[in-house]
Amino acid sequence: MAFLIRTIAVARSGREIPRDRTLEVNGLTVGRSPDCDIHLADLTVELQHLSLSDAGGGMLRATALGELPFSLNGSITGDATIDPNARATIAVGPAQLEISREGDGPVQIIQSVIKKSGATVEPTAGFALASAMPSKRTMAWISSMAILVLLLTVPIVTHLTRDRSVEGQGPDASMIDQVSFDSTWSSGALSLAHHDLEDNCEACHATPFVTVQDETCLTCHEELGDHAKKPRLKAGMAPLPAGEAWQWAVAETLGNEGPGSCTSCHLEHEGNVRQQAATEEFCAECHQDLDMRLTDVSFGNADDFGMKHPQFRPTFYTEYNQEDPVRISLDKAIEEKSGLLFPHDIHMDADGGVARMAISLDQYGEPLECSNCHELTEDKVSYKPIEMEPSCEACHSLVAGRDGAGGFTSLRHGDVSDLMEDLATMGKGPKRAVVTGRTRPGQFARGGAYAVNFGRPAASLIAINRALLPGGTCGDCHINTTTDGRPDLIPVNLPDRFLQHGFFTHAGHEDEECTDCHEADTSKASTDLLMPALESCQDCHKGATAVATKEIVPSSCAMCHGYHTPTAPWPGDHPILQSTPEGMRGRSTDSIASISAMLDK
Amino acid sequence: MASVPNKRFGQDERRRDADHISFLKHKKFRWLWIALLLSIVTGVGYAMIDQEPRPNGGSWYGYTLGTIGLLLIVWLSLLGVRKRRIPEGQWSLKGWTSAHVYLGLSLIVVGTLHTGFQIGWNVHTLAYALMILVILSGIWGVYAYASLPKPLSMGRKQMTRAGMLEDVTTVDGQIDRAAQPLGRAEADLVLSALRQDIFYGGALARLTGFYPGCQTNRALAGIAPTSSEAAQSVHDLLTKRAEQLGQIRRQLRTRALLEVWLFIHIPATIALLAALLAHVISVFYYW
Repeated sequence: MAFLIRTIAVARSGREIPRDRTLEVNGLTVGRSPDCDIHLADLTVELQHLSLSDAGGGMLRATALGELPFSLNGSITGDATIDPNARATIAVGPAQLEISREGDGPVQIIQSVIKKSGATVEPTAGFALASAMPSKRTMAWISSMAILVLLLTVPIVTHLTRDRSVEGQGPDASMIDQVSFDSTWSSGALSLAHHDLEDNCEACHATPFVTVQDETCLTCHEELGDHAKKPRLKAGMAPLPAGEAWQWAVAETLGNEGPGSCTSCHLEHEGNVRQQAATEEFCAECHQDLDMRLTDVSFGNADDFGMKHPQFRPTFYTEYNQEDPVRISLDKAIEEKSGLLFPHDIHMDADGGVARMAISLDQYGEPLECSNCHELTEDKVSYKPIEMEPSCEACHSLVAGRDGAGGFTSLRHGDVSDLMEDLATMGKGPKRAVVTGRTRPGQFARGGAYAVNFGRPAASLIAINRALLPGGTCGDCHINTTTDGRPDLIPVNLPDRFLQHGFFTHAGHEDEECTDCHEADTSKASTDLLMPALESCQDCHKGATAVATKEIVPSSCAMCHGYHTPTAPWPGDHPILQSTPEGMRGRSTDSIASISAMLDK
Repeated sequence: MASVPNKRFGQDERRRDADHISFLKHKKFRWLWIALLLSIVTGVGYAMIDQEPRPNGGSWYGYTLGTIGLLLIVWLSLLGVRKRRIPEGQWSLKGWTSAHVYLGLSLIVVGTLHTGFQIGWNVHTLAYALMILVILSGIWGVYAYASLPKPLSMGRKQMTRAGMLEDVTTVDGQIDRAAQPLGRAEADLVLSALRQDIFYGGALARLTGFYPGCQTNRALAGIAPTSSEAAQSVHDLLTKRAEQLGQIRRQLRTRALLEVWLFIHIPATIALLAALLAHVISVFYYW
C-alpha cells in the first residue's frame, strides 16, 4: 500500500512549508518514538500511539497501540476502519492527520504542525499578591453590604413593620420576637429579673430613637410607689456633675425623660446579674443637703448613718382617747398616754416581789423575762399585741368566787359591761346555809338551776365601784373614768408600729438583750416611751463605708429604707437584701405583706 | 525682588531634606506626641471617673470617647481620598501619613476605653474587632514597608522578574524535548509539571511558602533518575526547574508579606465604616 505523507511546517514569517515523502508499506505507526513512521514530538502522544494498516478492499484500519485512544472525525475511539476515499481526520495529541485518497492513488496523509504548548512567557503581573487574592474592592463591597443589610437594615425594617397590636399588655416574655437580628444590637445580657425578655428587644424598645419610657416599665411595675412626685424629685436633686448635666441636657432635647426616669437609675444590659440597688452615696447625693433645695421638708438631712441621720420620730398617742397617733422626735420631752398603768421596773426586778411571786408559780418558776409577756410575731419582725389573760392573769387574778361544781368563777376581761354582769352575779356561788340540815328538794335546791339567794346585794354593788378605782381589780392597770354617767375605764391606745418610716426587724437582733436598747428595767411608769433613740442604733450601725467588725455593722440607707416605698421596707426579693448581713435576710415577702397591711390600716 | 529666588531656594532645600526623612519621624515625631497625649488624657480621664455600675460606652464619658473615636476613624479613612487628590495649600502627604499612623495607634486606647471592656457577640464588638483588625494590619504594613523591600530586592539576585519567568520557560522547553522518550506514566508526570501555572498556589501558599500540590516536586519524586538516560536528564532538568520555582516563590512570599496588609486594611476599613454606621444607628434606634 502506498502512503503519501505531507508534513506542513510553518516558518517564522508564517509561510507554510510542505514536505512530502512516499512510503510503500502495509501499515504505518504513529507515535512520539522516533522509530514511528509518523513522528509526533509531543508528550501527550504515546511512544507508539496508533497503527494504520491495510484492511483490504482499499480500506484502512486505525488501531490504538497503547492505553490512550485517538479521535476520529471528532469522536474518541480505539479501533476503527476508515475509507480513505471518503476523507477522515485523525487527531492524536495536538496533531491532526487528514487522510484522503484520489481514486486508486496513494493514501494521502496531511500532518499539521504540532502546536507547542507552554511556549508563551507568563506575564510578570503574577508576582503581585493581587493575582492570588479577591480584589480589595470586592471584599470591601461584600463585607460592608453584608453588615449594612443584616445588622442594620433587617432589624430596622422588621421593627418598623411589626404587628404592634400584640403589645397592648406591655413587655411580656410570652410575646413572639418579631424583629430579626436585633439581638446583635444588644450591648450586654439583661439583668436576672428581665432575662425572659432577652430575645424580645421591641418589648421595651418600642419606638425608634426614643429611650425606654417609664410608661413601659410601669405596665409591669404598676404597684411601685413614687419616691416623690417628679417635679419635686427634680427640685430636690443635687446639681449634676458637668459631664452628666451635659449628657442629660443633650438627652432631654432628644426626648429622654431625664434624671428621675426609671432608666436613669435602673441601667440595663449590664450582664445577667441582679439589678444593683442604690448605694448610700446615691441617697446622700440628694439627702445630705436636701434642706438647701427643699426648704419645706419635715425631715432632716441624712448622709452616713453613723454620722448624719435625723433623730427617730416614732408615732404614738400623747393623749388619752386620742383619735390619731402623733409623730414626735425622741429628742423632745415626751410622754406616752397609752391608757395602761404598767411599771416595767417592778416587774423586771429580779429580787422584787413580782419575781418572788413568779418563782412560786409553776407557769414561770423563775423571775419574769420580757418574753413571758412579749411574744415575737411569726416572721420575727415585730411583737404580738399583749393579751391580758395569758400574760398578766397568773398574778393579776380575776377569780371572783366559786361555781356550783366546786370550781372558780372569773371576771371577764376586756369590757366594763361584762365586768358589771360578772360582779352582779358574784353572790351565786355556794354560801353558808342560813339553817343547817334543811334544804329544799330537787332543782330548787341551792346550787341547782332555780336556787334563790335571799342575801343582801350590797356586796356586789360596792365591788363594781371599788374594782375600777385605783387599787381595785381593774384599777391596778387601768385608769378609771366616767362615760355618760357610768363608771368606765380609759381605753388602751397602743400603736401597732412606732417607727413607720423605716424598716426594722427583731430577727436581726436576736443576739442582743432587750434592755440593750429598751430601757425597760429602770422605767417606773408606762408613760415612758421605751423606743430606743438613734444613738443606741449608732453604737453598732455605722455608715456603708465603715469597716465591718464583730460589733460594727456597715449600714447603707437601704438597710432600713426603700426607695420607691420610703415608708415601707424593701421587697423581700430586692437585690440589696442579697448583700446585707445575715439577720436582714429573714425578711420574707409575707412579713412585708403584713407590714404593708398594717400601714394601710 | 531679589529675595524671591533665595526664598525659593530655601523652600526647595527644606523640601529636599524632608524627602529623606521617614514619615514616622516627620516633624520630630510631632504626631507621635499628639497621639500619646490623646491616649494619656483619655486614659487618665477613664481612671478618674467612677462609673456605676460599670464603665459603659453610654455614659457621658463613653459618648465623648465614642465621638472622638468616630471622628478619628472617619478622618483616618480619608487618607485614601487624600492620596488621590492633591489639595491646594501646605498639606504634605507625608505629614498626613504620619498623623494617620500615630493617631490610628491612639485609637487602640480611645476605642478600647469606649467599650468599657465590655465585649460580646454584637454589632458593637464587631465594629471594635474590625477597628483592631485595621490597626493591626496597619502596624504590619508599617513594619513590612520598613523591613521587607531589602530581602525582596536581595532575593532577585540581580534578575528581573521577567528574566526569572523566561528561565523557567527555557527549562520547560528543554524538559519537553528530553522527556520525549519517556513512557506514558513518566510523560504524564512531566506534562502535569509543565502545565501547572508558575504562579500556582493561593494567597495562603504564597504567604507560607508551602505548596503541597506542586507538580514539579511530584514529578521529581515520581521519575527515578536511574531508570534511563532520558529519565536522568529529565530529572536533572526538573531539579533545575524546582530551584527556579523556589526562587520565584521566595519572591512571591516576600511580596505577599509586603502587600497582604493592604488586602486586609482597606476592605476591613470599609467594613468598619459600615459596622460603625450600624453601631451608631442601632445604639440610638434602641436608645
